[in-house]
Amino acid sequence: MRVILETKVRPKPFLPIEAESIIPRNFLKGTDLTVYEGNKERALSEIFWIFVEGTAVSPDKVEVVLKGDTARIKRVGEYMDTGIIRIAGDIGMHCGNFMSGGLIEIGGNADAWLGREMLNGRIFCRGNAGHYCASGYRGEKHGMKGGSVEVMGNAGDFCAEYLTGGTVHIHGSCGDMPGVEMKGGQLVIGGDATRPCGNMKAGTCMVFGTVHYMLPTFRKTGTQVLPDRKVTMDVYTGDVANRGKGTLMIASRAHFP
Amino acid sequence: MIIKDVVCPFCGCLCDDLDVEVEGQKVIKVQNGCALAEAKFTGSGRLPAPIRRTPTGWDDVSYDDAIRETAEILVAADRPLLYGWSSTHGDAQSMGVHIAELIGGVIDNTSTVCHGPSILAIQEVGHPGCTLGQVKNRADVIVYWGCNPTEAHPRHMSRYTTFATGFFVPEAQKDRTVIVVDTRRTESAEIADEFIRIERGGDYEVLSALRAIVRGKGNVVPKMVAGVSREQLFRVAEICKKAKFGAIFFGLGLTMSAGKYKNVRNAIELTDELNRHTKFTISPLRGHGNVYGSNEVFTWITGYPYAVDFSRGIAFYNPGETTAVDILRRGECDAALIVASDPGAHFPHAAAAHLAKIPTVLIDPHMTATTPLCRIQIPCTIAGIDAEGTAYRMDGVPIRYRKVITSSYPDDADILKKIHDRIREVQGS
Amino acid sequence: MTELLVKNACVIDPLNGILLETMDIPVRDGKIVSSVSSAADVIDARGCLTLPGGIDSHSHVCGTKVNFGRYMSPEDMRAGRTARRGKMHVTSGYYVPTTFGNSYRYSTMGYTTVLEGAMAPLEARHTHEEFTATPHQDMLANTLFDGNWAIMESVRERDFKKTAAIVAWTLAAVKGYSIKLTNPGGTEAWGWGDDLSSIHDPVPNFNVTPAEIIAAMIEANELLGLPHSVHLHCNNLGKPGNYRTTLETFDLVPDKNNARQTLYATHVQFHAYGGTTWRDINSKAEEITRSVNAKPQIVMDMGQIMFGRTMTMTADGPMEFNLYCLHHNKWSNHDVELETGSGIIPVLYSKKSLVNCVMWAIGLELALLTKDPYQCLLATDNPNGAPFVKYPEIIGLLMSRRYRDEEFATLHEGTGQRTAIASIDREMDWNEIAVMTRAGQAKALGMAAQGKGHLGEGAEADIAIYPIRCHAVDPATEYRKVVEGFQKTMFTIKRGRVVARDGEVIVEGANSTFWVNPSVPEDLSVRNDPEFVRKFREYYTVRMDNYPVQDVYLPRGKCIRTEGAL
Repeated sequence: MRVILETKVRPKPFLPIEAESIIPRNFLKGTDLTVYEGNKERALSEIFWIFVEGTAVSPDKVEVVLKGDTARIKRVGEYMDTGIIRIAGDIGMHCGNFMSGGLIEIGGNADAWLGREMLNGRIFCRGNAGHYCASGYRGEKHGMKGGSVEVMGNAGDFCAEYLTGGTVHIHGSCGDMPGVEMKGGQLVIGGDATRPCGNMKAGTCMVFGTVHYMLPTFRKTGTQVLPDRKVTMDVYTGDVANRGKGTLMIASRAHFP
Repeated sequence: MIIKDVVCPFCGCLCDDLDVEVEGQKVIKVQNGCALAEAKFTGSGRLPAPIRRTPTGWDDVSYDDAIRETAEILVAADRPLLYGWSSTHGDAQSMGVHIAELIGGVIDNTSTVCHGPSILAIQEVGHPGCTLGQVKNRADVIVYWGCNPTEAHPRHMSRYTTFATGFFVPEAQKDRTVIVVDTRRTESAEIADEFIRIERGGDYEVLSALRAIVRGKGNVVPKMVAGVSREQLFRVAEICKKAKFGAIFFGLGLTMSAGKYKNVRNAIELTDELNRHTKFTISPLRGHGNVYGSNEVFTWITGYPYAVDFSRGIAFYNPGETTAVDILRRGECDAALIVASDPGAHFPHAAAAHLAKIPTVLIDPHMTATTPLCRIQIPCTIAGIDAEGTAYRMDGVPIRYRKVITSSYPDDADILKKIHDRIREVQGS
Repeated sequence: MTELLVKNACVIDPLNGILLETMDIPVRDGKIVSSVSSAADVIDARGCLTLPGGIDSHSHVCGTKVNFGRYMSPEDMRAGRTARRGKMHVTSGYYVPTTFGNSYRYSTMGYTTVLEGAMAPLEARHTHEEFTATPHQDMLANTLFDGNWAIMESVRERDFKKTAAIVAWTLAAVKGYSIKLTNPGGTEAWGWGDDLSSIHDPVPNFNVTPAEIIAAMIEANELLGLPHSVHLHCNNLGKPGNYRTTLETFDLVPDKNNARQTLYATHVQFHAYGGTTWRDINSKAEEITRSVNAKPQIVMDMGQIMFGRTMTMTADGPMEFNLYCLHHNKWSNHDVELETGSGIIPVLYSKKSLVNCVMWAIGLELALLTKDPYQCLLATDNPNGAPFVKYPEIIGLLMSRRYRDEEFATLHEGTGQRTAIASIDREMDWNEIAVMTRAGQAKALGMAAQGKGHLGEGAEADIAIYPIRCHAVDPATEYRKVVEGFQKTMFTIKRGRVVARDGEVIVEGANSTFWVNPSVPEDLSVRNDPEFVRKFREYYTVRMDNYPVQDVYLPRGKCIRTEGAL
């Protein structure tokens, strides 16, 4: 079953919409769902033109497609456990919060907190991700615990903060402090990063571009060759400001042998 | 008439030993206070009556009409923002929160542009702090990091730290070592025993290095860290470890430079680490008189110290998303109520500009930089001058503001109560 | 005049010797009377269990430390969120809920009076502000004196009258109810990052010992004729082997009051550990209860822990730092000049942890091995051992051996060797539960005289009606019904007004704060003591005139004047 949601023109287009009801499972019972626009509860049909194609017997067979001006729609895919959500353009904050299964594909950019506290499943974003991509919630000790987040463009600051499990792959560059407070999982940064992995306790972070402002509390322990990528990585352990036993690998200036 | 032991409502020090001389309804002299206190008590420029914008200027309007219109604006809004709260007392703050929950609004206070990052850091790692008297009576090592109390909190050093005599510190200047950390040589740096000059944006690195040294892992530290020599870092770590009681105070230089709350977090974790060796505390130098009170009041009613979003009925909190500057910058809100603060002067241009596009009501005693952005302004009393009420000092000590003169202005808490009641009427609740 | 008649109530009122009698309770203007007119509103209790309103004699719900627990815990605030509904404000939080959250949950559980366990005098105004925002319970504040410089100096000088005068001035100034000592002397040592390890260690720079402070404060308390006794959080909380300190402390306590105990020892579970390290920790509940059973002058509360996440918060700063070193979670500390300290740490009590299982067992053992339920009251040191919403489960555990056995079977397998819980048969009856949750508290706090904790004529009409038919339920086997029944009242009546019904709060609250103003002869008053005034001026950062809590903070304050023997 495909459910296509195409945004209608809204009188106040800058009002954020909170749409945690948009998960594949919910559409099995129809489209009689509500979302919040600011402090007003609205029927899904007030915000979207809704087109349903085919039927499904189980939620994993449901695909939700969002089109139009979706950049202000928050919480799409929150608590999603199965099925597919495809977003043609940009998506608002908190897309895929607490997601535990299924696939979210974003054609444009994702706003902040993409995949926050994610447990499992997969998020794929063709554009850029905002701040706190694949991070945790304020005050909580664990961020993303499992699954994978892949961003083809860049990510903002504090990417994969408190990463505890799963993999985060940013093909472009990260802003300030990616992997800060990391305690597990894997963070791969194709481009550059500023001050990666502050206070890291465990897990692995690889940076294939340039690191700006390397923190002074990482200890170099050697190098490692990654044959499939044809690069040599400098390997650091840290953060020794903490009782850090994490691994930070940075592409070596030395050439691949 | 001279009124003794008056509380100064200007900054988070809340000095409560001022002698204020009053003649009729005017303060004519302030003793014991700093220059900022004097200016606060003797200031002018109060708006005489409520005003409403017209296409060509301003009209006077009655309090009742202004209140009624404010209630209507707030009830009609889909995403109203209630911002400010730090220059008033607890009753007004509390009423503000109740209005926000009634209308499904977002309520935020001025922490959002000062120590919000400190709060985020505390929410990650906690806060080993103390009241200021603990520092005054015990501290032999004082660290000022990213702040310039000489200018912003002029009596902090004389009442609580560097120049204050305390029970276990009978000769303040001799008994205390003062360390100042900043990116530039401030006035406060001039009186420091040790001045650490950090390259802009390098606080996090320096704090990490200090933590490693205190943990006995100093061998990892390179020769220079953000412009600070390894030798100086080791020397400072040693001074801190040998202290009997150390106290770190930090300001916006730490909270608003690159890394923001992670800088504060790192400073707190350095403090934690030092506590394994001796006694150490850390405290933010809070700016506005009762900004800490707004955090306290918000917290006991909503669970969160600032940036609370009631649009879904329940309280939701996520700085970066539900903070006033972010909401304004994204153009989300469609009405605003500003109380006891001046975002027109302190917010980034894009954020302030949005206030002018939407119906904005200001409740404030003075004409300020926010006035030109408003549709309506309602003047009120000034907490601590012509109104009394609770304020929380930067260390959490609650003090009651005194009323030193009587004016004809209504208290902002009363104005807010009327707005609240009017909203209930309109909503039929 | 408002009148109410509660009909067909199956009443247990231990202080008046009423046990499961079906009767009517007439109420006029907030008080229980002998009869009301036919115009009275009627509530039909339909034979359900009807008790005096619950009283919590040791709970942390209001003030600087509690609010800091909220402030630092946005992750907990996600747990218990409710929207504004009817007369109820928004609430957030599970183990450190907002003030309204606490108040509604207590109210729907039938609790109408709560003693805040620790108020630092310098920050009392904050506690009172939050009391006003906890509107469905009458509130009382334990006032901290454990590291009070003036007190320690007077103790060193052995001037009990001066000690009493300082207590009197402070209680009246900060509108406190009773004397609280938290790790006496230890909080001052913590000012330097140290602690005391025995009640005979001298406090650094002050040359007094905890034993001397405790003894002097007991003297002062009785000289002033305070309604409550000294309320003590013993030294060495949470340390293996600390039961010796606790027993030594109990041995210090004379029997000085006929109406009530002379010492209230709080959260004793945390003070009843044998062993030498966390590895060999074991229960010493038998030793502790043997002592208490022989000493009518002592009342304790359980300090029960229940499994799950919660927050520890106490004036005991050094203990919290030790906990931080153990857990490496977030740690807050807040020392208060010249007075006390405090610390806050989140914790998770887990059935996988043998230490936690031993703690769980000790709390229950204390209650089950104490012969007189008036001597061991039900409390969790909320939220330290567990949030108070767990009280109904604790009641179930005390009333049913089977429930305990079932729980026990899920615990760490080493629990049986370290504790005696599995061998205790006692199952408490309805009356004992009523004692442990209200009558005992009223007596221990000296609040029965204020009409609390009983349903006799003249009492405050604070009444809790639970959907439990005692004659039709066997708590030993049907403990789930008991637990559910105590979670939500059918009606909670506060001063003659129905405030909560079937789990919903239905009115805006209007509570009172009880405080004590002991009379002191003018020549003994510390206001007239130049040395006291000078030290105040020189060492506090707040002026003496700005220190007292103004009357405006207690809109419905009830002052208890005491005439002591000073």
